[in-house]
Amino acid sequence: MSSSTRNEVHRHLETVGYMQPALHKQTHAPSPDLIDHTLYRAYTRASHDVGGEADVPIVWAEKEEEIWELNTFATCECLAWRGVWTAEERRRKQNVDVGQTQYLGLPYYGRWLLTAARILVDKQYVTLTELVNKIDELKKRAKAEHKLGEYVTPQAK
Amino acid sequence: MSTKPVYDRTHHAKMATGIGDPQCFSGKAGPAKFKEGDRVRIKDLPDLFYTRTMTYTRGATGTVVKLVYESPAAEDEAFGNVDHPEWFYSIVFAQKELWPEYSDTFSNDTLETEVPERYLESA
Repeated sequence: MSSSTRNEVHRHLETVGYMQPALHKQTHAPSPDLIDHTLYRAYTRASHDVGGEADVPIVWAEKEEEIWELNTFATCECLAWRGVWTAEERRRKQNVDVGQTQYLGLPYYGRWLLTAARILVDKQYVTLTELVNKIDELKKRAKAEHKLGEYVTPQAK
Repeated sequence: MSTKPVYDRTHHAKMATGIGDPQCFSGKAGPAKFKEGDRVRIKDLPDLFYTRTMTYTRGATGTVVKLVYESPAAEDEAFGNVDHPEWFYSIVFAQKELWPEYSDTFSNDTLETEVPERYLESA
């Protein structure tokens, strides 16, 4: 066994365990000489590679998918079926490209949905201008018909 | 006329339709470098941007239990590159090899995971 690599791996896992998303810390925007190899590797790792990181236990709760979650899944599968992305491309965008704060902070299908929008912008199926205008239009329509944040009971088409 | 770059975004879907993925890459990786029973070590390649070879396996030694399929590695496929399929191997590790503090009470415990050929060297 190559022990220097194993030592580095275990030092890495220990380091990323400390690297929980933080909103405000004095260590933000460090000068380059403050980032040694260990910190550089920890910062630039793929955020989904959490195996071995120390963390607190989380509560496991069984939950049925909501309609928006099933619709999100179907939308993403259609994008694959029509050749817009492969599963691996989707996983890269929703698990790694989003960064650690969003990876750990957003709900699972929230990241799927965000990523479906992102791939359409990245591959020029829609422009960000079109997407932003559409979201703005829908927000205004929703506000006219409901209170913002009001729970709207899903209805079958 | 559109100024957008034009390329076939459905090339992968066309390749896999009616066949499946990774079946559509079958026979395209060339001869396999390792066989069942070989002892292999996981290379610590740079883990920049994307990988599915978990960091905790890097530098550890395991045994090939199966050649599972041929496919582009995640590092290629995640960016739409499918021209270089390679062999994927199922590797079994002793848990004790991966986690130094793993209890001796469970010293027979193993972990099995799939790794593309680029990460393997003979051990």
